Amino acid sequence: MEEQIKEWPEPFSTTGDKTSTFDNLRDQVNAWLKEGKVDIFLGYKMVQGHPLPYCFTKENPDEADELIVGKARYSLEKMAANIAAQRPEIKIGLLVRDCNQRALNVLYVWNQLNPENVETININCCPSKLKEHGDCSYLAPQRSGSYKKQVGIDNNMDVEDVEEFSQEERFHRWMYEFEKCIKCYGCRNICPVCFCQECSMEHNDLIATGTVPPEVPIFHLVRAVHMAGRCIDCGLCEDACPVDIPLRLLYRKVNQVVSELFDYRTGMRADQSPFNILGDEVTLEPKPI
Amino acid sequence: MDYKIIPSTCSYCGCGCGVLFQVLDGRLEGTLPMKTHPVNQGKLCIKGWNLHEHVISDKRLTSPMIKKDGHLQEASWDEAIRTTADRLQAIIKDHGPDSVGVLVSAKITNEENYLAQKFARAVVGTNNVDHCARL
Repeated sequence: MEEQIKEWPEPFSTTGDKTSTFDNLRDQVNAWLKEGKVDIFLGYKMVQGHPLPYCFTKENPDEADELIVGKARYSLEKMAANIAAQRPEIKIGLLVRDCNQRALNVLYVWNQLNPENVETININCCPSKLKEHGDCSYLAPQRSGSYKKQVGIDNNMDVEDVEEFSQEERFHRWMYEFEKCIKCYGCRNICPVCFCQECSMEHNDLIATGTVPPEVPIFHLVRAVHMAGRCIDCGLCEDACPVDIPLRLLYRKVNQVVSELFDYRTGMRADQSPFNILGDEVTLEPKPI
Repeated sequence: MDYKIIPSTCSYCGCGCGVLFQVLDGRLEGTLPMKTHPVNQGKLCIKGWNLHEHVISDKRLTSPMIKKDGHLQEASWDEAIRTTADRLQAIIKDHGPDSVGVLVSAKITNEENYLAQKFARAVVGTNNVDHCARL
């Protein structure tokens, strides 16, 4: 663990066609803060031996020399949205990996952040289904144990692999995963695109609050349904889950449905409103409610 | 605008999960799990996730309380310590040191726990030391 924390890959940044070194990255942040392009910059810094999210400010731009790009990934865009909710006039710069950028797009679309007040510096990404090569190996999923493979769902599976199980088997396997839940709400709390003031998962008429274990599978399925058209497949939920429920896979499935039915590719663009994904004409067959 | 991320340790139990406090303009806004912490590796339980809530809760006690005339009333620290010391001394005098037990906690530090057991053994004179996790 200790070695993992100390060994940081040589980070680099690509902004458009410009490839900059680590020093360039720091210089750029320093310059942005000095010239007032941004009021604050959300990046990372080593604090007490840990790469932690850090807010660099225009009052202290030279601190940008301590900016790092670590393997550990936090939702800087969620922090930006929280800051903007209280201080909407502030111009925020932040380091973004691909997933952060997709989350930003969703936050723009849902009016949680004003794109005019956000400046980004792109950094290399984690390997995932969406991108094979990257720095952020912290997120490479752990290999599942044999028991989990036997009775549950391997987190590394594809949607298509899971669908090869019969419906009944699939249900039992998912129930095995859901029943482990300790109802920490970590998946919701860490989610960069979960910003509702009132959450269905805490609505007493829908899901009993104050009791563990949660009602399964409704607790997870309510969240899964709400992730349709929201989830940007960053994997932070799965990363935060203490019991390794393959949430990313579940939400990938609901987004696949959204993508196939409405051609709405969540987080890929910031100019696609979720309110008119149906288009001018309804193409779904009407079904009795 | 002042936004800080402050690393700390969860005070709810003895595991010692690494947490990050989000502080915006001096107000504690939220708790995040520390990704690189060897204990929790980016995960938290529901208590840890809500660690900030008791700090900013209206129900949080901000001064010692002494029960007078059947009601808990606010008191100064001097008064509270004096009252506790007097009552403990009276109980030890009447019923012996083993009539007192000291219950320590996972929510306080190792050093504070050490002091508490030292207080029990050296000041009160009892080995009745136990821990909140066994209650």
